[in-house]
Amino acid sequence: MLAAVRSATVFGVEGRPVTVEVHVSTGLPSFQIVGLPDEACRESRDRVRAAVLSSGLAWPSCRVTVNLAPSNQRKGGSGLDLAIAIGFLGAHGQVPISQLEGLGFVGELGLDGSLRAVPGVAPMVAAMGEVRPVVPAASFREAQGVVGDGVRVAAGLREIVDALNAEAPWPPPPDEEFVDDEPPPPDLADVRGQGMARRGLEVAAAGGHHMLLVGPPGSGKTMLAQRIPGLLPALEPDVSLQATMVHSAAGVRLPAGGLVRRAPFRAPHHSSSMVSLVGGGSTSLRPGEISLSHGGVLFLDELGEFAPAVLDGLRQPLEEGVIRLARARASAALPAKFLLVAATNPCPCGGGPPGACECDEGARLRYLRRLSGPLLDRFDLRVGVSRPGVDDLLATGGGEPTAVVAQRVASARRGALDRIGMLNANIPPSLLDELAPLHPDARVLLRDHLERDQLTGRGYHRIRRVARTIADLEGAGELVEAHHVVMAMQMRVRLSVTSRERAA
Amino acid sequence: MTAVEALSPEGLPPQAYAAALAGFHHMSISRLAALLRHHTPYDAWQIALSRRPAGGLIGRVLAKAELRDMWQRSARERPPEMIWQQCRDLGIDVLVYGDANYPGGLLDDLFPPPVLFARGDLGLLAGRRVGVVGTRNLTAAGREAARSIGIGLGAAGVHVVSGLARGVDGHVHRGVLAAEGEGRPIGIVASGLDVVYPREHRDLWQATANCGLLLSEAPPGTRPEAFRFPLRNRIVAALSEVVVVVESREKGGSLITAAQAVDRGVPVMAVPGPMGKRASAGTNQLLCDGAAPVTSADDVLTALSFHHGRSAVHPADLRARPRGEDIAVYRALQHEPRTIDGVALYAGLSLVEAAMSLARLEAAGWLAQTDGWFECVGSPLR
Repeated sequence: MLAAVRSATVFGVEGRPVTVEVHVSTGLPSFQIVGLPDEACRESRDRVRAAVLSSGLAWPSCRVTVNLAPSNQRKGGSGLDLAIAIGFLGAHGQVPISQLEGLGFVGELGLDGSLRAVPGVAPMVAAMGEVRPVVPAASFREAQGVVGDGVRVAAGLREIVDALNAEAPWPPPPDEEFVDDEPPPPDLADVRGQGMARRGLEVAAAGGHHMLLVGPPGSGKTMLAQRIPGLLPALEPDVSLQATMVHSAAGVRLPAGGLVRRAPFRAPHHSSSMVSLVGGGSTSLRPGEISLSHGGVLFLDELGEFAPAVLDGLRQPLEEGVIRLARARASAALPAKFLLVAATNPCPCGGGPPGACECDEGARLRYLRRLSGPLLDRFDLRVGVSRPGVDDLLATGGGEPTAVVAQRVASARRGALDRIGMLNANIPPSLLDELAPLHPDARVLLRDHLERDQLTGRGYHRIRRVARTIADLEGAGELVEAHHVVMAMQMRVRLSVTSRERAA
Repeated sequence: MTAVEALSPEGLPPQAYAAALAGFHHMSISRLAALLRHHTPYDAWQIALSRRPAGGLIGRVLAKAELRDMWQRSARERPPEMIWQQCRDLGIDVLVYGDANYPGGLLDDLFPPPVLFARGDLGLLAGRRVGVVGTRNLTAAGREAARSIGIGLGAAGVHVVSGLARGVDGHVHRGVLAAEGEGRPIGIVASGLDVVYPREHRDLWQATANCGLLLSEAPPGTRPEAFRFPLRNRIVAALSEVVVVVESREKGGSLITAAQAVDRGVPVMAVPGPMGKRASAGTNQLLCDGAAPVTSADDVLTALSFHHGRSAVHPADLRARPRGEDIAVYRALQHEPRTIDGVALYAGLSLVEAAMSLARLEAAGWLAQTDGWFECVGSPLR
């Protein structure tokens, strides 16, 4: 007897539909899986057999052949367990084959017949198309977030078999209260002093400007960076769905609601490998940190300590918003549109006010050279952060809370999107004169800087974009005024030693 | 020198042969000196190629067939006419010991260079000269010291002798050039005058040749081999009236220069540094050994017995004077560097006001910014 069951696997962040064909015949007892299964997939033979037996169902001596179609694509993971088991039971006549029509099965089986969640349920159910997905109870919200109503859940194989045989109703979906279990992002009000850096965060969030925080250890660079996601608005529905797919495919825990709605914040350590950052792996092309921060913030602390090759790997996704991974057998495009926030010390000893540095020139040069080059060019904002002094800690009360700043950010972003449909960081140079016209005073100021060689052509465009965002945040009119330009220039600190080369 | 008399049978001046000899493989300074001591360059050339008998050191050296072959080969590879043409094309003067234009200060040196290659104004060697040397790995404080000494000496019309190396050497010469005074950079280098080393000093090298003086013992095309640097240092010491060491570790080329200066009776001065810091270990040791301390360019000028009035040291300040709140902002920075946040807090301004004011002051040249910190630069506002 033959049965075909619909299921799916994950590749990159996309699901790929898989038809599980099971053939049961007489002959020497055996259980074969063909169709390029990987190791985890091949091991499902033992899990499926044990699960069937522990669920009180029969596994007679017969010849079982499982084909995973299309058979020329590699299949990975344990998500096909359930489909294989159901296929076997159908082919063996323990459940009616007609009942399998219009259903798709995803889930890993335990030896006791219980059903376990697997990574990638969201893209898998999306890929199965016009079927009602049957998923582990723990994956209900995730599947529901993608396909809406009609998701069936079960806690174990037995429940599904009973439902298919019409001996029992389908188990009801878990109806626990929809609680937002994410802790609120840290609040800006906790930051003392740091006026310029706070301004920088606001501008970065409002304009989508990549930001480099420069300051000595202990000056609060990480603390500041962690507060950016709170300033970003909730994800747009399409971005939210993409982010959910990425998180699901990578097996990162999703929020209770099933969808990633809040801007993600990812802070990989500087020892991270290329593959962990940009994604990869031979069978499934697991998404990396840059895809996990899609729609949110990628924070690279100690930027200079990352391997140069890893940093170079960020350039193409920064440019295009997707990362295209190619392997010998397959390639995939993963979403990777993120706000890059990085932090670095100004020199190996950490620096501080001028004169505090103990490094020799060679060491400083070597340190900065690691950051140099094309990546440094991608930062619109280079904000200096200093250790708050006693005066700062005592004199200023807590600053504005996140909620107030987030409101300004939201209205500035709306303004930018209404104007041209993109954030200010992406305005092409050719449209700057139209979208960010300069007040005559501002023009004089920029001309002066260009003439004094303190600004290159590229830096000039970046400053104009940032100034546009600053004007938007102020709710100023269409004209970009001198003080907007000055603030934009002050948010572009010169790095010591090679300041001339780095005037860009 | 009457050129007609001096021309060799091949029609080349004697300097061409001296230049070619200086470029021979394994032609050490002492061998070259021995060759040229009692012979004209043309005769020395003939001797080096074993066309004439030789005695003394050279006779012993030429007894080795290996070296004889090497010198013959060098002569074939880079004949005098070729080197001479090269020097002419590059605008390089060849100075042979005893020539009329050979630097007088080196004539009675302990170990005078037998041949020198020069680009630039040899007349500078008649002016007041101070050697400023130091480590290549200098701290920010050392950089400031080197630069300010360069500016002070340059403005006072004192020429600065240094080695055009990374670190102190480079910064002091940049200071001299920035001063735009009468003082000029004199660079003594170890490689050929057409082989720029280190490469990042290409502009400085060019500027030194154009408005100062470049000297080397090596003919054009010579690589900067390690053994040439200590030899170069003796010329720095010999051409300086005073040698100032800005920063030096416990060992280093600048201490060799200081020792060479002591051997020649040239006073050594040193910039003191904090105790316990490696960058100042060498200079502090010099101070312990009796070198005079340098806390500003004025100390060096005093050692040269310069009488400098205020007017000479403080030229008219052409920067636009700050007005209004800019004065308060400048005052906030006068005693310590601050960030924008610090300035805003201290002067009681909003961030935007502080940023605007700092931008005006920076544009006018009163302030400089690095890593987000603002410092006063130039002579203070009075």
